[in-house]
Amino acid sequence: MSTLKELEEARALTRFDPELRARELPERRIYMLPRAVGWAEEKLPALQSVWQIDETPAEQLDAILAEFCAGEPLAAGEDFKCLHPIEDGIWELKTADLRVFGWFYRKETFIWSAACLTDVVKDSDLYFGFVKQAARDRDLLDLDPPKFVPGENPNDVVSAWY
Amino acid sequence: MTSFRLGIKPTRRAAGRFVSKARKKLQQAAIRGAQKGISQSDVARIIGVHRSLISRELNGEANLSLSRFAEIAQALGGEAEIDIRFPEDEKGRNIPAEPAMTTTVSTSWAKPVVFSTSEGRPLVDALPAAWVKA
Repeated sequence: MSTLKELEEARALTRFDPELRARELPERRIYMLPRAVGWAEEKLPALQSVWQIDETPAEQLDAILAEFCAGEPLAAGEDFKCLHPIEDGIWELKTADLRVFGWFYRKETFIWSAACLTDVVKDSDLYFGFVKQAARDRDLLDLDPPKFVPGENPNDVVSAWY
Repeated sequence: MTSFRLGIKPTRRAAGRFVSKARKKLQQAAIRGAQKGISQSDVARIIGVHRSLISRELNGEANLSLSRFAEIAQALGGEAEIDIRFPEDEKGRNIPAEPAMTTTVSTSWAKPVVFSTSEGRPLVDALPAAWVKA
């Protein structure tokens, strides 16, 4: 079993740098699996918004991940939520065009398994596949137990939910 | 150890983050409006557009213009304010976030331009108070 730091050193995980502004402090952490790094390097830059809005999927992702890492609220009432539990401790971060799948190793610490265009996820009914893939990633990752925060309560995985 | 950056052009990064924060402020205002009995349908009717457009704008599925930002704020009984913050005007700045030892994607650091109130508070932090009219 390994710590996050040991898995970073082994290149099994890569820490996401949100490039926060000088007056922002990182309050949440994101670690990426190699698959997520590869997708962000190779696929993300070419993606276009299916909604044809000004912000590209990459820019949308940058904004939500920066807000996440800065510890900002991730929901407004019941109508607007950018973090959503799916099942088996797997969560998704949402933008208009993207879904990011992963799990919380500890409160405020998200492990990013994979990401995909929302349209592709919905049209091809890939939710189940991404959840299973993330759960398998979690099983295979040699992290010190407990390997994830169970349940679907946002307050168990992040502070400042609202 | 390595870290990963998305490598967004600083101007586009600023734009994306600003629009996202502005949208979230409108979402919070919409929730507050709903608590006061002002629905998205009411907002749409006041502005003169279809409700679905307001919904898409609030959910990030349609562009959010500064004009519409002010319209929605007004329809919800508030008032939008805007300003620009320069780093040299800020007091008590925090030290930069934990630096990456190495990065797989590097970008140059640009001085942030932040919309803020005349009191120096970030616009996105100041808006809720602005929406409470005497």
